[in-house]
Amino acid sequence: SGQLYCSLPNPRNVRFESINMKNVLHWSAPEGTGDGVLYKVKYAVYGVGKWIRKPECRNINRTWCDLSSETSDYEEQYYASVKAFLNGTCSDWMETTRFNPLTDTKIDPPMVSVSSTDKSISIILTAPEKWKGSPEEESISLLQVYPGLQYNVSVLNKKTKKRWFFSINNNTLVVPWLEPGTVYCVSAQIHVTTPLLDSGFSEEHCIATLKDK
Amino acid sequence: TAGVKIFHFGACRVPVSMTEIRAGFTAIKANIQSRDPIRTLSILSHPHSLHKVKSSDRCCITHHLFTFYVDKVFKHCRTEDSFVNRKISSIANSFLSARRKLGQCREQNNCVCGEESTERFKQILANYEGLNVTSAAMKSLGELDILLDWME
Repeated sequence: SGQLYCSLPNPRNVRFESINMKNVLHWSAPEGTGDGVLYKVKYAVYGVGKWIRKPECRNINRTWCDLSSETSDYEEQYYASVKAFLNGTCSDWMETTRFNPLTDTKIDPPMVSVSSTDKSISIILTAPEKWKGSPEEESISLLQVYPGLQYNVSVLNKKTKKRWFFSINNNTLVVPWLEPGTVYCVSAQIHVTTPLLDSGFSEEHCIATLKDK
Repeated sequence: TAGVKIFHFGACRVPVSMTEIRAGFTAIKANIQSRDPIRTLSILSHPHSLHKVKSSDRCCITHHLFTFYVDKVFKHCRTEDSFVNRKISSIANSFLSARRKLGQCREQNNCVCGEESTERFKQILANYEGLNVTSAAMKSLGELDILLDWME
């Protein structure tokens, strides 16, 4: 039936890597193959009966393919698959495990902005946005995707090295009763209880409380 | 208690240990889903998505689905892996206590079944009965996150 006999080793470690629901398919080149290997990619919505080719990832020599727009509905789950070609022969299709954008994505730390008075600092946190295909598209905060989203906040007194931790549901925090003229450094993390998802901690944002009047 | 989420269905309050269920499922998800080779069929999410269920029908569908998992899924999912089996029985126990509470809601008439939810659940059963019992049970277990995502 004209079916090509596929004797090429298979692409390896085919998996989705997802950050803020920017869902990119990655794989490693087949073992023992140098340059010149080309790939094609297809994907499927779990439960729907057909595989769909990704034209922009046909005959490519890179080992990744951005499937974010094809997998943007996070109420669905997906599979993706890769096939390799070299010198007229090919590999088998190699599939990912089932990909659930809601539970299998990683979340970036929140954006942190701080201001201070003489005895307090105010912290405003902003959750990252879900990936979107173009700037014109409506922005969706991950707060809308994960209603149970919370923030863990760390506040460090640079002079005494004393550190406090806070866990808050809303996105603002005022830390009172601080020492005037002292530097405090703030870092924050996103915590979703179910599904269990934690971002890393953000970079530290340091600010000095105003000197005593 | 930490990790227990209270679901409100009208006047009824149903505590479900979601964190424990999620953690148990995450631990066995790859193992269970790898036993389900059928990509083109889903028990819960096609042709009808749970996400299209009217809020008035949520209690009834949830009760139907918890009964479905207790009566038709967990008991048919024994594996050769004792770790997986332990996780399955832990999830099953959480479902049993939540189903008991949901049953009380139904007795107090807080869990009315509309025509749409009855139809939707019939479709789920038809999807299930379209496969042999073990395949259908394993596929349903592999779709537990679809149920949990919808519930939350």
